[in-house]
Formats: sequence, C-alpha cells, structure tokens
Amino acid sequence: MVSSLVVGGTLGEILESLTAASLVGEPIVLAYGQAAAKAEEIASRGVKVFRLNGEHPDLIFKAAKKLFEELKPKVIIGHSTKNNRDALSRLAGLYDLAMATDVVKIEPGDDHIIYERGFLSERAIAREKASYPAIVLINQKVFEPYSAQGQGEIVDIDVGTPDVQIVEIKKKQLSGINLEEAEIIVGVGRGFKKKEDLKLAFELAELLGAQVGASRPIAADYKWLPEDAWIGISGKRVAPKLYIAIGISGAPQHMAGVNNSKIIVAINKDKSAPIFKQADYGVVADLYQFVPVLIKKLKERKEK
Amino acid sequence: MGDIVVLVKPALNPDMLRSKPDGTVDIVGIPLKFDDIDANAIEAAKELKKNLGGKIIAVLLLPWGPTAKRSKDLRMVTQEALARGADEAIVIADDTLLPGDQVITANVIAETIKKHVPNASLILVAEASIDQTTGQIGGRIAAKLGYPYISYARSIKAEGDKIVVERDVEDRIEIMEARLPAVVSVTQEINEPRPPTLLQIRRAGKKPQHKLSASDLGITVERKKEPLEYRILTVSRKQIIIEGDTLEEIAEKLIEALEKEGVLSI
Ligand SMILES: Cc1cc2nc3c(=O)[nH]c(=O)nc-3n(C[C@H](O)[C@H](O)[C@H](O)COP(=O)(O)OP(=O)(O)OC[C@H]3O[C@@H](n4cnc5c(N)ncnc54)[C@H](O)[C@@H]3O)c2cc1C
Ligand SMILES: Nc1ncnc2c1ncn2[C@@H]1O[C@H](COP(=O)(O)O)[C@@H](O)[C@H]1O
Repeated sequence: MVSSLVVGGTLGEILESLTAASLVGEPIVLAYGQAAAKAEEIASRGVKVFRLNGEHPDLIFKAAKKLFEELKPKVIIGHSTKNNRDALSRLAGLYDLAMATDVVKIEPGDDHIIYERGFLSERAIAREKASYPAIVLINQKVFEPYSAQGQGEIVDIDVGTPDVQIVEIKKKQLSGINLEEAEIIVGVGRGFKKKEDLKLAFELAELLGAQVGASRPIAADYKWLPEDAWIGISGKRVAPKLYIAIGISGAPQHMAGVNNSKIIVAINKDKSAPIFKQADYGVVADLYQFVPVLIKKLKERKEK
Repeated sequence: MGDIVVLVKPALNPDMLRSKPDGTVDIVGIPLKFDDIDANAIEAAKELKKNLGGKIIAVLLLPWGPTAKRSKDLRMVTQEALARGADEAIVIADDTLLPGDQVITANVIAETIKKHVPNASLILVAEASIDQTTGQIGGRIAAKLGYPYISYARSIKAEGDKIVVERDVEDRIEIMEARLPAVVSVTQEINEPRPPTLLQIRRAGKKPQHKLSASDLGITVERKKEPLEYRILTVSRKQIIIEGDTLEEIAEKLIEALEKEGVLSI
C-alpha cells in the first residue's frame, strides 16, 4: 500500500524527500518541472513516478489533489520550495490537512507524525505532532539522497489547464555561486550606501578566498547582487567556517541562515546592533573606515 | 468592484523572547506585534484601491492567548492596521480558537470573509509571518473560497476585473494574470511601507471595528496538530568586541584572533 507521496521539481529535491518519505512507508513520486525530465532516473530507485509536464502551481495543486484522492497517502513530502508551498497549501486548505514547512526532523508514528521546525523566526524550535494525513515540507540537506535500486513505472499525469495564466517568464540573472559549499563568506547588508561600494567587500573576499553573500534587501530589493547571494530564512542556509557580516543588523530572519557558521564576525557602526550578541568577534566601526584598514593589514600579512 | 481584504496577524514578537526556567518558550510572556510583511500588504492595498475602489478591510484573528491578557496588544495591532490605511477592521478573539493553528485560522478567516465581506475583490496576505513563518494561510483560504491564488507577489497591477502579478520563484519571475476575486500573498519587496503619520494614528481611533467570536461565525474546527514543546535555541557565541586605540590595532587583533581560530587560510 502506498503510504507517502513525494512532490518535487528537481531530482535533488525528490531524492532527499524520498529518504524522508521511506521512513513513513512505501513512496510514490509526483515529478514536475526539471524533475519530470529526470523521471527515468527517479524510477530507477524502484518507485512509481507520475510525471507532470510543466511547473505551474495550479497544475501541481491539481495533480497532487488527484493523487491524494486516489491513493490516500498518509503523508505528502517535499522540499520547502515556493511552488510546493503554493500548491500544497491549497491541498491543505481543501481537506483541512496539517501542513508543516521548513521541517528539520521527522519521527513518523502509526497514526501521526512528529516533526521539528523553526519558530519565532527560528530563534526557537517547535516540536509538534500532526495526525495523518499530513503535509511535511522539509529543508534542504536534512536527508541524504535516496539510494535504493529497482525498476519503477512512469505514468504521465494530465490535469488540464491552469486557472491563472502565466503570460511571461523572466529568468533571474544568477551568479551561479554555491554559497552552501563556501568555506568563508563575506555578507553585505544595508550598511553599504550604494552598489559601487560593494567593491570593498569583494576586495576583502578576494584576499580571503571568500564568496560574497548578502542580506535580503541587498539582493532581492535593491538588486545590487544576484538573488542567489540572498542568505537567510527565505534564502540560502550556509555553514562556512567563517562568516563576516558587514553592515548587517542581525535580524533573526538573516541569522537563521548563518547560525551554522563556525565563527561569525560582525562589523557594524552601531554598538547596540543585535548582531553583536550573535557573533564571536565584533568590531564597532564605520565599515567605510574599517574595511579598507582590514584589507591593508591582510595584504601586509600576505606579503610577509 | 468590491472591498479589499488584508489579513493582519497579531504575531508573537521574536525580538522579545521570554523563556521559562527549563528553556522552553514562555509564550504567554511574549508580547504581540503587528506582523512585519502585513504592512506591505496594507500598503499594496492602498495603491490598488485607487483602481479597484471599495474599502480596505483588515481581518485579524488572535492566534495566541489567553484573550483576557492579550486585549491591549490586540488593540494596538488593530489600531496600527487602521492607521496604516485600513478603513475598517474585523477582529476575532475567542479562547476556544487558541492557540490558532493554520487549519483553525484558515477556516475562521474564510468563514469571516464569506459572511462579512462576501463582495471581496481581492484578499491580500503576507508571504509569511514572523512567529510561525508557515506562509500557507493564503493558499488555504483560496482553496476554501474557490478563488485563484497567486503567491509571492513582487508587484500587483489592477486593470478592470483583472490583476497582473509578478510572482517571485527561486530562479525566475512569472508574470501572471488572474480574474478577480483572487487571493494574493505579497513579498517584502513589493513596496516600502510608510510608517503612519500622527494624523493617521489619530484618525484610526474613529474608524469602525467589528468584534467577532467563534459562535458569531457558527463554526467549530477540529484540530489536526498539537504542540509538544517550544524550545529556545541558545546561541553560544563568544561575543567578544575587539577594541583598540586605532583601527589598525583592531584589524591586527581581529586577524590574530581569526588565525588562532584556524579559520583564515591566508
Ligand atoms: C518573513 C520574513 C523573511 C525574511 N527573510 C530574510 C532573509 O532570508 N534574509 C535576510 O537577510 N532578511 C530577511 N528578512 C528581512 C529581515 O527582517 C531584515 O529586514 C533584513 O535582514 C535587514 O537587512 P540588513 O541587516 O542588511 O539591514 P538593516 O537591518 O537596515 O541593517 C543595516 C545595519 O548596517 C549598520 N550600518 C549602517 N551604516 C553603517 C556603516 N557605515 N558602517 C557599519 N555599519 C553600518 C546599521 O547600524 C545596521 O545595523 C525577512 C523578513 C521577514 C519578515
Ligand atoms: N491569526 C491571523 N490573523 C490574520 N492574518 C493571519 C493570521 N495568521 C496568518 N495570517 C496571514 O497569513 C500570513 C502568513 O502567516 P503564517 O502562515 O503564520 O506564516 C500572515 O502574514 C498573515 O497575512
């Protein structure tokens, strides 16, 4: 009997979600978008794959609804992506299902699932118990990719047309940097007054062999950096050995993305900025005065 | 067109954490505040009202109790919604609905809209709240009302009975077109909410407020989840402020400290 439904838009999301889903019981997969093109690779893990052409949230909702009604899984599992949140929150609303997002731990039981997720902008952890059927959207990299072998069936799923039309798609200009793997990250915030000034951060990063990340407003609102530099609860979660936050206040939604760093350094001109309580080393100074000096000292050290 | 509904969550303030001696969260001790991105939703509603007409109706459901202890916070959040630009507020506070999880919240708010704002043209919510950050209320309400749902709006334009929305997805922006009525969740990037002026704050006191309870709405909702434990995450950082007479000295001390930590490879 099928007991879990995995929903995802990329191969990576689906393989990690399958590992979580297999803790509940026999999984099947709804693969949309890029994952639909990888249906064979997913089926080679010994699971049945329903392949959905496209990635319109209306269609993901309708396909998930159809599979939920036909197969009655105990849980629906996927990553906490925007499309999954959008489509599955509607399924949750339709059937009054419990739904948890950004989940970092699961303990499935016979008639319920216990999970843990952030609370109070991730300054606390909530442990909650939901009755089946439930929707559980996990964070990236909490589970290893599913590695079982087998030969699953692939079935195309057709759910008609969306209710809302997508009239245009604009690809974002992304840098392609992989902040998740970076050893050292220099994070920039609204303490920088204009885009050109970020060259200070880039110069520092180059000396340190670091990547440059940013608070949400710098990347998503001002667009001074590509959006894959956006770190935090709604952006990337990183775990470098050194995170240097420059001109960042330390809002919990930003810190949620960097709390797994080994060492955090904060440079901020306001001595009461909340970030100093969440950093290992703090420098209370104007970044425009201090960062050039830091660069100079690092250069001197390098030349020795 | 009809009225614009904006959902406003009286949310626990994560900047005012309170813990019990055993390290669990003292929820009753944490004050409520106006949920951050709901301010962007009201600002968006003010812009859209110019085209869509109607009134802006803020709907607030108290999610954390006990009601008797929360009345002052709830009144402040309601005042702020009205000062920021809502024309009226509907406030639902009821001990039988506490704590308000997402199944309860969506049912109560959907029912409130059906009964009290049946002509709503647009329902705006925020992408996520500052306490629970689940971002699922908009989708749930859209499904319950049978309206189209567009999430993560970076812009909304109204043209007649149509809206055009820029929807943020991780690697792209999708431009979507929907007929009204619809439910839209807004991002922090959609606008820059202006803090209310003194005059707006003064006027807010005269705007209509409607108070509702579960029995007024005639609904009972079955809980689908229960809290087991809310635990404070303790950050154990060194919190050393590096001091010195000159910036040079501070920079040298910082480099030395980082070398000692073994995190510099220079
Ligand atoms: C649901 C939700 C999700 C969110 N998700 C994220 C997220 O994923 N990531 C994220 O980053 N944010 C997120 N936010 C936004 C977050 O709450 C903060 O608004 C944001 O992180 C602030 O960015 P900042 O620190 O760059 O700017 P600010 O808070 O404005 O801080 C700027 C800092 O720079 C300092 N400064 C100014 N001038 C100088 C100078 N010359 N030298 C040195 N220091 C200076 C100031 O003292 C201040 O501390 C989210 C918010 C919500 C509600
Ligand atoms: N109790 C509530 N009252 C009014 N609006 C709410 C409530 N709970 C959630 N919302 C709306 O739904 C959004 C997402 O909330 P959440 O699911 O908690 O992340 C909030 O930002 C509000 O716009």
